[in-house]
Amino acid sequence: MNQGTRTKSTKTALILAGVVAGMVGLSFASVPLYDLFCRVTGYGGTPRTGPVAEMPEASDHTIAVRFDANVNSALPWQFRPVQREVRVRAGEEHLVHYEVVNVSDEPLVGTAVYSVTPFMSAPYFNKIQCFCFVEQRLEPGESMSMPVVFFVDPEIANDRDAREVTQITLSYTFHPAKQERRIGTGRTTEPISVAATAAGRDENQTTSN
Amino acid sequence: MAYGVAAGHDEHAHHPTGWRRWVNSTNHKDIGTMYIVLALIAALIGGIMSWMIRGELAQPGVTFIDNYQFYNVLVTAHGFIMVFFVVMPALIGGFGNWFVPLMIGAPDMAFPRMNNISLWLTTAGFVLLLIAAFVGAGPGTGWTVYPPLSSATFHPDAAVDFAILSLHVAGAGSILGAINFITTILNMRAPGMTLHRMPLFVWSILVTAFLLLLALPVLAGGLTMLLTDRNFGTTFFEVAGGGDPVLWQHLFWFFGHPEVYIIVLPAFGIISQIVSTFSRKPVFGYLGMAYAMVAIGFVGFIVWAHHMYTTGLGVDTRAYFTLATLIIAVPTGIKIFSWLATMWGGSIELKAPMLYAIGFIFLFVVGGVTGVALANAGIDFAMHDTYYVVAHFHYVMAIAAIFAMFGGYLYWIGKMSGKQYNEPLAKAQFWVFFVGVNVLFFPQHFLGLAGMPRRIPDYPDAFVGWNMVSSVGALITMIGTLMFFYLIWHTFRYGKTAEANPWGEGATTLEWTVPSPAPFHTHEQLPVIGPTGQPRAGSGAVSPAE
Repeated sequence: MNQGTRTKSTKTALILAGVVAGMVGLSFASVPLYDLFCRVTGYGGTPRTGPVAEMPEASDHTIAVRFDANVNSALPWQFRPVQREVRVRAGEEHLVHYEVVNVSDEPLVGTAVYSVTPFMSAPYFNKIQCFCFVEQRLEPGESMSMPVVFFVDPEIANDRDAREVTQITLSYTFHPAKQERRIGTGRTTEPISVAATAAGRDENQTTSN
Repeated sequence: MAYGVAAGHDEHAHHPTGWRRWVNSTNHKDIGTMYIVLALIAALIGGIMSWMIRGELAQPGVTFIDNYQFYNVLVTAHGFIMVFFVVMPALIGGFGNWFVPLMIGAPDMAFPRMNNISLWLTTAGFVLLLIAAFVGAGPGTGWTVYPPLSSATFHPDAAVDFAILSLHVAGAGSILGAINFITTILNMRAPGMTLHRMPLFVWSILVTAFLLLLALPVLAGGLTMLLTDRNFGTTFFEVAGGGDPVLWQHLFWFFGHPEVYIIVLPAFGIISQIVSTFSRKPVFGYLGMAYAMVAIGFVGFIVWAHHMYTTGLGVDTRAYFTLATLIIAVPTGIKIFSWLATMWGGSIELKAPMLYAIGFIFLFVVGGVTGVALANAGIDFAMHDTYYVVAHFHYVMAIAAIFAMFGGYLYWIGKMSGKQYNEPLAKAQFWVFFVGVNVLFFPQHFLGLAGMPRRIPDYPDAFVGWNMVSSVGALITMIGTLMFFYLIWHTFRYGKTAEANPWGEGATTLEWTVPSPAPFHTHEQLPVIGPTGQPRAGSGAVSPAE
């Protein structure tokens, strides 16, 4: 290979290495982008969260909203919705409660994740206030009532995919909160405090239904 | 020794002997040979795994594998080995290394030492994967490694970590190899060898290398996330921490679908060379053939979610991915019809490589048609994770790629070893293998349509008949495979000395202008390529007459 080809080849290889680095970067950038995409589009049952600037007009479109509660088997809590189902008018704000009890004899921290089904109704399900993704600490035997304030956007009646939806299910699952793991032995997904109860292989255990 | 015919005797100073020649090799031909040997060893191991799977599935209930996790490990390792350590090393590392420099008139690859690293990284990846199978319960995740099954909860020992490292290392090797191929093809073509005069095999390797370059880093990123999820408490794919396992599927299939084309594009290239040679015609619609591969490569990046129809995608998203997937049938159709048009009116010689090429076209069409069926989201809801899918992708990328490997091997073995294979033996091997794979995989369409799920070691009595037929097919395929290994031995033991060009006027590419076996160094004086794609008289260091 003469000198000219060599210089050209080195340049080509460096550009290609840049492409590889760029693609690795993109794959990591996809994590926040994917999250953003889900929140914007309601993909995978991601509802709208947070306060809204202006409540829409209430309409006559009524929808049944059902509530579901699950606990990861590694977390010895009892978790249930106070009401199984409410019928709401679209655009009307509602307050419901979930109840959670720590049935173990040690203080435990859990976090709840949620989803809305059917998925196409998720962009129209607005949660103004909820207990999701906030770590909850419960003392032994302590119980707590957890409020959820939500409304269904009347725009749902104008969506050609979602307007047939007559029933929406809001589902919560409590998981043990992620804690610092012991590197090397850190093969458990459970926090150290509940590792002793973690023998079960079933991910979720439904306690409400 | 055979390499004595090479021009430039002073080159012997740079020609190490013994084990150093191979381990420290920077010679594209030696490295190509080692890739092919690696693929042959891996194929035997992956093949034994597949025969064990078919053995277990010959009858319902426990046939001989009572440890179902072991069955899962077999399915996983079979997939990994065949994709990463058989087809890719053989088609890209093996034939690519051997014939890309020869076909474009370059003396070697652009970065010969990097070429060596690529080979040994791939080999190290293979060893890591084999180790993974013996760590704890082994990786029973399937080659798709979906979390949560691949998470620390369900695979608590280090087996999955070894498998991840294996793919990391092999992936790094492939990325380096891809950089090497692109640089070589872009910068080191002989004078007059314009991009539009390159043989289609070189085109196929160029497109494949770009796919590797863009797809493998995404797999590496996803695998790194999975590794940190498993070991360092991150929650990229873990719902409990706000992650999403479906994100893994997006990352995996953004790599995984182009990977399908990474496997099959070099096969397209080999088939184009063989069909043209044995029809004694230039390939029909050369530019269309080249750009069809570019189009397949491009569209291959925007169809990944057709592997994920049942994950809860919206109706519009499924409609898009259905449409985009169906569009791939257009450039693929261009290729199929151009091969047929190349044969049309040609003076066809049905030598064994040509039989394999025609066999490839048949298998690829069968697998392509079932692919068009599966591309429809509505149909896929019924077919997802059934044996219909297993039959589809084995036809379209597994046995089709194997046919291209066998065809390419027979086509080029004279050039690589200097010994010509035995024609009647190769033809017999072809027919046994062809019957075997079809008896093996065609009934799996029926099983899938009847609802038999994949990756399960047991099944209800309703599926008994076709499963037995399929397993008998596996037995025939096994005999065909052993015949192929016998053919290799026979060629080296009894093969006749190969001429520089054993195929006559149909073989027009540059590798046939150098002696057989190809000398250690070739194209030291660059050939000058004329408008027909042929070297001008008197150019180049060696001519067939030597």
